[in-house]
Amino acid sequence: MDLMPTPEQDAIRDSVRTFLETELPMSQVRTLLGAPTAAYAELWRRAAALGFFALGLPEALGGAGYALTEEMVLFEELGRALAPGPWLGTVLAAHALARGGAEARGPLAAVVAGELRAAACIDPWGGPLERRGDRVSGTRRAVLGAGLAEGFVVVDDAAVLFVPRGDAVAVQAVPSLDATNPIGTVAFHDASCLVVGRDVASAAALRRAAAVLSCADAVGGIARTVEMSVAYAKVRHQFGKPIGSFQAVKHRCADMAVRAEVARSATTYATVSVRDGAVDADFQAAVAKVLAADAYLRNSADNVQNHGGMGFTWECDAHLYVKRARAFDATLGSRRTQLDALVARLRSA
Amino acid sequence: MHGGSTAFAPGVTPPLDDSCTDAAVRVTSVAMDIAFTPEEERFRAEARAWLAAHAPMSEPPEHDLAARRAFDLVWQRTLFDAGYAGISWPKEYGGRGASLMEQLIWYEEFARSGAHDPSTLFVGLNHGGPTLIACGSEEQKAFHLPKILRGEVVWCQGFSEPGAGSDLAGLSTRAVIDGDDLVVTGQKIWTSFAQIADYQELLVRTDPDAPKHKGITWVICPMGLPGMEIREIKTMAGGSDFCEVFYDEVRIPRANIVGKLNDGWNVAMSTLSFERGTAFLSEQVRLTRLVDQLIDVARHTPAGDVPSAPASALADDEIARRLALLRAEVEALRSMTYRSVSRTARTGVPSAEASLIRLFFSELQQRVFALATEVLGPQVLAWDAKGSPARVTARHAGAPSWVSHWLLAFSSTIAAGSKDIQRNIIGDRILGLPR
Repeated sequence: MDLMPTPEQDAIRDSVRTFLETELPMSQVRTLLGAPTAAYAELWRRAAALGFFALGLPEALGGAGYALTEEMVLFEELGRALAPGPWLGTVLAAHALARGGAEARGPLAAVVAGELRAAACIDPWGGPLERRGDRVSGTRRAVLGAGLAEGFVVVDDAAVLFVPRGDAVAVQAVPSLDATNPIGTVAFHDASCLVVGRDVASAAALRRAAAVLSCADAVGGIARTVEMSVAYAKVRHQFGKPIGSFQAVKHRCADMAVRAEVARSATTYATVSVRDGAVDADFQAAVAKVLAADAYLRNSADNVQNHGGMGFTWECDAHLYVKRARAFDATLGSRRTQLDALVARLRSA
Repeated sequence: MHGGSTAFAPGVTPPLDDSCTDAAVRVTSVAMDIAFTPEEERFRAEARAWLAAHAPMSEPPEHDLAARRAFDLVWQRTLFDAGYAGISWPKEYGGRGASLMEQLIWYEEFARSGAHDPSTLFVGLNHGGPTLIACGSEEQKAFHLPKILRGEVVWCQGFSEPGAGSDLAGLSTRAVIDGDDLVVTGQKIWTSFAQIADYQELLVRTDPDAPKHKGITWVICPMGLPGMEIREIKTMAGGSDFCEVFYDEVRIPRANIVGKLNDGWNVAMSTLSFERGTAFLSEQVRLTRLVDQLIDVARHTPAGDVPSAPASALADDEIARRLALLRAEVEALRSMTYRSVSRTARTGVPSAEASLIRLFFSELQQRVFALATEVLGPQVLAWDAKGSPARVTARHAGAPSWVSHWLLAFSSTIAAGSKDIQRNIIGDRILGLPR
């Protein structure tokens, strides 16, 4: 048993953090918010050159041969940096396509090369999908990063589809609370697709990966709210002292640090459980979501409070984390939904 | 192959499998892991079997301290004879010398078995003994350590004073050197089990002119010396586990000083860092079991006193969601503990992050017992402080012991560093905020 990062994970974290600090400082994050699709193309290619989208793929498929736990590290860093765009959708597309047949190799290579951004349609909003062979019809609403995507991973009850963006796919961007995850409505009109998963298990596997990697994104953001609050509390002076010396502020920061450790521990445990196919993997993933959502919502709010009047401004980055936290909670099974799943489990035991 | 795939090349080629499941692409050498080794699993099986066969399932009465002392000493002797005493103590001092992983497994199995926790022996096994191991003389170790391990003595703590609680270094109980003795005058407070203890780990001020952290000495005080007076303090839970201890020119041999004269603060810090390391592992693991028991109680307890109430407390959506949240939180407590043990296993020293767990645990424990009182509804009203067993053992132990533990849990954010001090420690030492 060892839940601390391995030396290789530390190396991945360093490498990703350096890349993001160079390519995606907050000034660049803000430039990208609302920017046209083309602005993301070069970023995606550079991230691909570092291996972002192939981290968890076997070497035979052009991957690095790592696993979900190393992708967790990647997403912690993406979340910490508030990286905008459909990162999760693209990595999930790699997962899905790697399970497909020979016809999936082309799009997989494009995803791994950073030439194909994908959004994931996992939440069932928009009504039932109709599929006939390799054609799909139906609508998915509030798809994160839909407007920036060139392909869609669609997870249904017992199938995983990959739908390239084409004439039969209509994407309507929607003005979004969380501009780092702009949503859109995606309508499939008898669109051709690759069926890369044909059973409940393949759909469940992708849902589980989505669940824990989204929690990892949150863990990074949660940690960043602590860093921001602590840094500000050290330099902001009132009454002749740094405000971090006042217990009201110090103790709020301490509570933020506790919640960060809770969320990180639960997410790490859940990710290893999912990676290893543990019997309680779904339970652990639900636990992680409940606690990470709670931590992100509360920490991001406390971070605004700790920044005082500045925290309420558009200019201060604190609100960006508030909004990303809300998007995290609202998608892939909210805190409330997961809690009810845990309740059902308690009652049936 | 794409250019990027070389950037994160792993050191080990993972096994490939056409099915490409998550497990199949897992890196097999050094990886994050929640599984234990075959040797560790063997130890778990041994511990589980032994506890099932030997752990006492009865409980002494909460408020009969003499009975608790006798019960705990017998149980400790049983543990000693089987080689399970001093699980974390080095072998050279008679302990088991278990690895951190084995300690974790032992505490998990101990909690799982429902075995009685010998709480009157906590200070000896987790404070006094380890402090002697770290700072004691050979004579002190040879005399005291076997007695503690074999279940022959009870130790208590003499740290806090009426004027020195959170500000422990402000303590004022004086000790003056007179020949071969220290002559102690002053008062200690919140001393659990003073009335049944044989020895006390005592902090006294030996240099009133030095800065407050530099004039303190750590000394072994045999209980019952002339000039000592013990007065019980009745707590809000109805019991008198803890006491005030008064010292009127009590003569303690200088040979009982542990570490150097005036270096007691450093000696005490070695104790406290131990306390925040593994000493609380047992009760952290136990809390998970308590939440499962509470869920079981909720399943079998009527939800309310009106005809329209749900069939059971567990059928009540609000209660059920709060139980589910507690279940999630104790699961996270375990993950946090595993992370902390993993960190300590690498560095060899208890991590500062233990303060995060301590704070989370102490407040979580209070939420568990507070919810228990809601689940029990009007049953909480009939409560006899003298009648409740020392610990919640099963659903059938009934409401009184849940109520007692709800009351006792008010101390969990006060004792061993109040939650306010814990937040200061986190702010100052982990986050680096200005004092």
